[in-house]
This record gives sequence, structure tokens and C-alpha cells, in this order.
Amino acid sequence: MIKLNNISKYYPAGFGKTYVLRNISLEIGEGEFVSIMGPSGSGKSTLLHILGLLEAASEGEYLFMDSPVQKLNEKKRTELHRNAIGFVFQAYHLIDELTVYENIETPLLYKGMKSSERKSKVADILDRFNIVGKKDLFPSQLSGGQQQLVGVARAIVSEPKVIFADEPTGNLHSEQADDIMKLFKELNEKDGVTIVQVTHSEKNAAYGERIIKLKDGWLDV
Amino acid sequence: MLRHHLLSAYRNLKRNKTFSFINIGGLALGIAAFLFILQYIGIETGVNQFHENADRIYRVINVDKNGESWSELEPGFAARFVENFPEIEAASRKDNGITSGVVQNEENDLSFREADIHYVEGNFFEVFSFPILAGNASGLNEPNTVFISKSSALKYFGDSDPINQNLILHNQFGKTIYTVKGVYEDMSYNSDFDMDMAFSLETLKNEANLNGNGWANLNNLDSQFAQTILLLKSNTNVEQLEAKLTAYRESVSREDDGVSFKLQPLTEMHLGASLNDPLPTYGNIKYVYILGAIGLMILLIAWFNYVNLSTANSLKRSVEVGVRKAIGADQKSLLGQFLMQTALVNLIGFLVALVIIILCRPLFNEMIGKDLPLFAHLSPSVWLIGALALLLGTLISGVYAALVSTRFKTVETIKGLAKSGKSGSFLRKSLVVMQFGVSVALIFATVVIYSQLDYLRNKDLGVDAEQMLVIRGPAIYGDNFDSRRNAFLNELASQSMVEKYALSGAVPARFYNFRTNGFTHPGSKPDDKYNSYAFVCTEGEYFDTYGIPLKAGRTFTPEEVRVDWNSNSKVMINETALEYMGFESAQEAMLEGIQWDERHLDIIGVSADYHHLGLQSEIDPIIFYPQQYGQFFSVKLAKGDRKKQLASLGNLYRQYFPGNPFDYSFLEEDFAESLQAEQQYGLVFTTASVLAILIACLGLFGLTMYTVEARIKEIGVRKVLGASVASVVALLSKDFLILVVIALLLATPVTIYLMSNWLSDFPYAIEINGWMVAGVAILALMIAFITVSFQTLKGALMNPGTTLRNE
Ligand SMILES: Nc1ncnc2c1ncn2[C@@H]1O[C@H](COP(=O)(O)OP(=O)(O)O)[C@@H](O)[C@H]1O
Ligand SMILES: [Mg+2]
Repeated sequence: MIKLNNISKYYPAGFGKTYVLRNISLEIGEGEFVSIMGPSGSGKSTLLHILGLLEAASEGEYLFMDSPVQKLNEKKRTELHRNAIGFVFQAYHLIDELTVYENIETPLLYKGMKSSERKSKVADILDRFNIVGKKDLFPSQLSGGQQQLVGVARAIVSEPKVIFADEPTGNLHSEQADDIMKLFKELNEKDGVTIVQVTHSEKNAAYGERIIKLKDGWLDV
Repeated sequence: MLRHHLLSAYRNLKRNKTFSFINIGGLALGIAAFLFILQYIGIETGVNQFHENADRIYRVINVDKNGESWSELEPGFAARFVENFPEIEAASRKDNGITSGVVQNEENDLSFREADIHYVEGNFFEVFSFPILAGNASGLNEPNTVFISKSSALKYFGDSDPINQNLILHNQFGKTIYTVKGVYEDMSYNSDFDMDMAFSLETLKNEANLNGNGWANLNNLDSQFAQTILLLKSNTNVEQLEAKLTAYRESVSREDDGVSFKLQPLTEMHLGASLNDPLPTYGNIKYVYILGAIGLMILLIAWFNYVNLSTANSLKRSVEVGVRKAIGADQKSLLGQFLMQTALVNLIGFLVALVIIILCRPLFNEMIGKDLPLFAHLSPSVWLIGALALLLGTLISGVYAALVSTRFKTVETIKGLAKSGKSGSFLRKSLVVMQFGVSVALIFATVVIYSQLDYLRNKDLGVDAEQMLVIRGPAIYGDNFDSRRNAFLNELASQSMVEKYALSGAVPARFYNFRTNGFTHPGSKPDDKYNSYAFVCTEGEYFDTYGIPLKAGRTFTPEEVRVDWNSNSKVMINETALEYMGFESAQEAMLEGIQWDERHLDIIGVSADYHHLGLQSEIDPIIFYPQQYGQFFSVKLAKGDRKKQLASLGNLYRQYFPGNPFDYSFLEEDFAESLQAEQQYGLVFTTASVLAILIACLGLFGLTMYTVEARIKEIGVRKVLGASVASVVALLSKDFLILVVIALLLATPVTIYLMSNWLSDFPYAIEINGWMVAGVAILALMIAFITVSFQTLKGALMNPGTTLRNE
């Protein structure tokens, strides 16, 4: 599903450039649950953003579902964001002026899904995540854990093939973190969703099947 | 999706209260100003257009060699034109102000002084399309008939049917009985001809009805007192006809004065063809342009706020934009979302504007000097233009705000690395400069207008206007009038509240008896006789009563004012006349006298100059002509209870002149009224500058808020490092105040130029001085500084602990 060949990323710095990622080659198969680990500043987020098509690599080749990402146009990329990719952010990034229900519904709106279909999908998710009672609350009225639950709900409502999660539990207590991790596990096992998460915690990483270690932009094998 | 956009927009506005308040408030004010002015422009451009024959109706205008033009024509031309030029279907005359007098309904003993009444041609209501409510349009063809407006009908006849009832007109042509043959809908803001009664001009054909006023002979080609309007046949070549009419005039005219005829289309009678149209108009196209520009500028200032605050706010919303992109939003739907927000802000602003319009209509009517209904009947094209302008502004400001807000790279926003663009901040600064430039210009203009008004109000007129009551003499005479008048005057003189009084045919602050030429100093050039002199027919007490000193000689004796018009050989003049006539001194003038065509007149006295017509025009050369019993009684009242004084004078007046309305005014108020146009300008510019500066300051307030928010950590660090509150405020305010300074530098010269131009139209004007410039600059800077201070102070006073904690 995901194949990186010698991917590098650098940013201009002064007259030269600083490499954030170097020669990353890796493969993630469909239905895998992978954790990316590494010290702060090692390039984890950058790698995840590249994987999630939010950022382009500077060098190398990236095949997402067998198509070379470098050649995708804006429209195709939006298409993939709508149908194949879900994101979960460390800071949740829910939309403040939308209710829980509306936050979860938004990706379906962008997908152009019919109203009746949307309703049943969102209702299903609310049900599954046990947050029906919170559906009319605004993000500011929720605890962090609840917000991240909504964040995950929003990420999976459009039934993506893969979820990219950047330190999804970084702001949560361990108990809340466990809930999210269990959820990922369940999604991975029951629904066959590929999951790629960045985490600092060995315990969280253990929920996954495989750990990719980064150090100073290099794969740490 | 639309619902989602609307919901997001609505919740966003609700959450960002300051942002919403500033934008909606500013736009509401801006749109209200714009709609008011749009309506005004719509009305002004629609005047006179409703007549069915509007495209075939022309007004004959005289244009002399110097390009001066006027609309009064010798009445004898009308019939001759129709007779000689087949392309003229009909000619219709309307006098220019010789009709006014007292109208009386003897049946129910009602009488009122009427100013807006005219003699018109019998075909008037056939040529024009004023709606007739009763009677037949052709009814005015008979002599001694009158058409009256609906309100006049109510005023004189109440509920009873006015048709075939009689009205008596008492004016300079004596007492004449007219029969009401028609009632028309009140002429209103859509018509330049605005008369309460239309008397048949035909009546004056009868010598007996002229009361000795030979000049008003309808067939004459000597005295100009009637507008002449032509209804042309379709497809007439107007330019050719103008040439033919001018040639005709030359062939019948006694004097070779070089005057030619122009035909002014009825459709251009109100505003002219363009800004440079020299022909006389009823409206003022300059005013229309000025108001239009002001309305648009205020609206622009409000839109600038929207653009500025949206872009300043865009950084705050960048994360939302990034997240939306990450979950599948494309550019189109993001633009849609921001456009929806813009549309919502403008729509709410529009609705609030409607409320403002309803509430502020009286103020607006005062500003334009009209009494407009809430929603005047305007041509759809005006509303279309207005709607298009509003939509276009909404669209442009919305698209720009949307583009700026969605321009960030998703990944940067999510990483919190998004930065506000440099180009955006340059545009923002330019818009602020423009906002304050316009505001400063308007404030400056207001200051100049009021300084000028103040100067005109306080300048010595050379006339004692204080406590000066001017009473209109009776127009309805009745039996034993002379003895009753003498008895009234005796009573008047004996009143303790009357300090002095005088009778005259003309009084200060109103026009002269007339203006005429033909005067020459015995040794003058032949051209001098074309100089025009003002005539004031008066008794001798005029000068003492009005406190006008004599420079030489004496005033008229009671015997001299009794001499009849044609036998009189004595006049007085003012100093300006002395100069005009080319005399070296008053003594010389009194020795030599003056020639008026074939008559020799002795000059018995020279008065000091005074501003008869106020300060709008230069002092005219005046000839005072002795005549008793003028139509004005000027009474210098002792200080006291005005109400009581007026009541007792009114009783006296009614006792001796039964049936006559007791019409009076105070000279001070009459002079003040002559400044009405300037007062109107003052009001318009005050309102406009308050609006402009208010909306601009709202925007500035919002911008400071965002800036302080964005720099709050920097402020915290500075304070930890020991910066004082004052230095932080200075740091934050500096950037904004620089913009205001730039605005001042740009706006001041332009405004000085424009306002000097305005002042140059006044014969007596202030000069724009450094104090005004400094005053406006200090005021603008202070307003801006105070506006900015709310937020900068808040930022500077904030505890660095709070601001730095969430690092
Ligand atoms: N847009 C950028 N420009 C320059 N440097 C960047 C940019 N984004 C990230 N970096 C740098 O790249 C390095 C890796 O960042 P990141 O991928 O966020 O690390 P991690 O998530 O592992 O902490 C950091 O040193 C960071 O400062
Ligand atoms: Mg990171």
C-alpha cells in the first residue's frame, strides 16, 4: 500500500539546506499497524506528513496504492484525502464552531455524500464510539480524551484505507490514551484499516505490529 | 454543503464578536449612507422625467456674449415662435415669480400669503403630464381660471368641492377673481415646477387686470419675466431651430445685445447635461457628485475593514483551513465557505442599514433639504446599479479575504508554522492609509466649512439686524384703506416696544425691488449703461431704522416720497454705486447727479455700504428711489417678551387690516436662512466625517487587537526584560500612527486644494491657515491614538506570566 524509495526531505537554511529525512526506504502493507518512534526533531512528523500527502518529498519516490505520488495533481490528492486517508492530530484540531456531530459529518460533506447516507454513517460512528449523548456539544465542552475520540471518529467516518496519527495521545492521560489505542487496534483488526502512528510511548507502540525508528532523519535499523 | 457553510459562517461570527461587530456595524453604517445617497441620486436624476412628452419639451434660455445664461424671456416671443416655426407644436409660458401675493377664499374668510404660485399658459397641463384629479386640463385656457393642488384645495375649501368656486388673488396686479377649474396632484420632489396654484396667464391679456403694470403686457418684447417652454414636433433638429430662433430674435429686437437662444431639454433642466453645462438648472449636479463620492467612500472604508480584519484574522483561522484541507476540502469549497461568511456579514449589515435608514430619515432629509418619503419611487435602473455595486463590493472583498485565508500550506498550518504574508500586510497598510486619508479629508472639509459659516455669521453686515421684525404689508385693501393704514402706523409708532420703524419696498436679506441698467454718469463711457444697478424703493426712515449711516447728504423727506414715480427727480445711492458711476467723491455726485436714459436725477445722499443680500454676493451698487408705502414694515423692537410683542402687533395688524394674514420674520433669521446651503454642506460633511472616522477607527481597533494578540509573547518577553508600559504602548502604537501620518500627508494638500476652490466662490471668505491644518492633524492623531490605546494598553498591562505560560 505504501512504498518509499530513497525519500529525502530538506529545508532551505541560510545558503544551504538542512536535511530532515535522508534516504528513507520502507514499505507498509495493507492492514498493517505501524508505529514510528524516535527522539524529538528526528523527522517523525515530517515523514508522516509526506506519507499523508500533506507535504512533498524533496527527493526519492513514493508509491501510494501503487501510484507515484509525485505525479498526482491537486485534484487527485484531494480525492485521496477524501476517500483513502484519515488523519488524527496530537492537538485534535477539531473545528471549534462545529458540534461533535458536524465535525464528524464534515468529511462526508466534502465527499459529496447524500444527506440520508451521511446521517446513518455519522449515527453509526457516534453509536460505536459511545458518544451519542455528546453529539450536540462543541469541542470546547469536551475533555481532551473525548475530543480525540471525536478526532478519531472524524478520521474513520469516510472509511479510509489508512489512518495517519501524529502523537494522537500526546496530550492525554494514560487511561484515555489506552482507550484510543484500543480503538486503533480494533479498527485495525476488525475493519482492516492500515494504521501509521507516531508515538513516544513504548506502551502505545506495542499496540502496533511493527516499529519504525528514526534518528536524525535516518531510519534507525 | 451550503447549509454547512452558512452554519460555519454564522457560528464563526457569533464566536468572534469583536470581528463581527466591527464589520457588521461598519458595513451597516456604510450601506445606510450608500443607500440614502443612492436614493438621493435616483431622485435627482429622475426629476422632470415623468412627463409623457419629456423628450420633446425644451426650455428657451438666453445666453449672452459672456456666456451668462438665464431663463426669463420676453413673453411676446411665445406666440411669435409658434406662428413662425412649424416645428414648434406648442409654446407654454410660466412666470418666474411675479405672482406671489395673498390668496383669499371670501366665502369662508380664509386668506394666506402664497409664494409658490404662478401664472401659466392655458395649455400648461396639456404640455406637461401633472396628474389632474378634477377638472379638464384644457380648463385653464379661459382667463380668470385657476388650477390648485390637492393640498391647496384642502387648505382653502376643506372637504367641499373646489371646482367652480372662487378664489381672489391680491398681488401687484391688484385684486382679481379666479374660478377653480382643476385640481392637480401635489407637485413633488420629482418635479422642478413646484406650485401650489396655477393661475391662467391668459388673465393678464386684459389691460384691466394689469393694474398699470404695463411691463407685464403679454405681447411685449421688452421685459423678461416668463419662462418659455416649447413642445417640439418629433424629429425636430434642435440645433437648427436654436439658430432660427436666435436669428428671429435679432430681426425683432431693438438692441443688438448679442444674446442668443439655446434650447434646454426638459430632461436636463434639473441637473444639466454635465458638470460643465453652463445653462441654468434647478438642481445642483455638483452636490450630486459630491454626495455620490462620499457615499461610495464611506462604503469602501467599511469594506476595507472587512478585508483588513479578515486577512489579519486569517492566521488564526489557518489551522481550521489546514484541517479542512486534510480531511478533503478542495479550494472551491473553502472559497465558498469564506464567501458565505462575507455574504452573511454584508447581508446582516444590509438589514441593519435598513433600520438605520428608517430611523435617520429626518436627518437625511435635512441634509438634502427635501422631504422625501421612506422609499421614494425610483427608476429600477437606480436600484439595479445599487444592487450591483453592493454585490460587487461583497464579492471582491469576499474573494480577496477568502484567497488570503486559504493560501496557507496545509502542513504549515498544522505544524503551527504559518506566517502572515508580507504582501498582505502592505495591502492592509495601504487600505488603512486610504481610510484615514478619506476621514482626514472629510474632517478637514468640515472644519473649513464651519469656519467659513462662522465667519459669515459673525461678519458685520453693515445693517442692524438685531430685534428687527419685518412685517409684510397688507395685500387685501378694502374700503378706507388709506385711513386705516395711517391709523395703524400711528398706533405702531405709539407702542413702547417699537423703537423705530420704516416702510420700504425692499428689505435686507431679500431681493431688491428690481435690478436695471441704463444709468450713466454725465461723463461716462457708452458701455456704462449696461452696468446693472439694484433698486430699493423706500421712505426716508429706512436708513435710521436699519442703522445704515449716511456718508454724505440727507435722506428722503416725507414730501419727496409722495412724489409719483415718473415725476421724481431725487435718488440716494450707496458707496458702491458711487464708485460704479465713476464719481471722485460724494460731493461731486451730489453736484452732478446722474442720467437714467432720458431722465436727470439729483443725488441727494450717499449711504454707507451694507450687505443687502448677505455675504454670498458682493455688495451691489444700489439706487434708493423715493416711494411711500412699500410692502415691508420694518420694526425695530425693544428687548422684551417676543411672544407677547408679536401677539399684540398681530392683533393690531388684524384689527386695521382685516382678512390679511399677519406674515412676519426676523431679519436675523432671514440672514441665517441665506446660509442654508452652507449649513446643509456643513451637516453633510459633519455626518460623513463622523461616519468615516468612526468606521475607520472600528477597523483600526480590530487591527490593533489582532496585532497585540499576535505579539503578545513578544510583549511578555519585553516586559520581563524591563520594558515600561509606556514604551510597550509606544512600540505597538507607532506602526499605526505612522499610517495616520502618511494619510495626513497625502490628504492635507488635496483637501486644501479642493476647499480653497470651494472658498473661492465666496466673495468674502476665510483663508485656510496652519492652525486648521495642525488642528486637524492633532485631532486625527489623537483619535487614532485613543483607538489604538484600548488594545495596546491592554497588551502592555497584561501580566507577562499569563502571556508566556502557554509556551
Ligand atoms: N517547514 C520547515 N522548515 C524548516 N525546518 C523544518 C520545517 N518543518 C520541520 N522542520 C525541522 O525539521 C526537523 C524535524 O521536524 P519534525 O518532523 O517535526 O520532528 P519530530 O516530529 O520528529 O519532532 C526539526 O528540526 C524541525 O525544526
Ligand atoms: Mg512531531
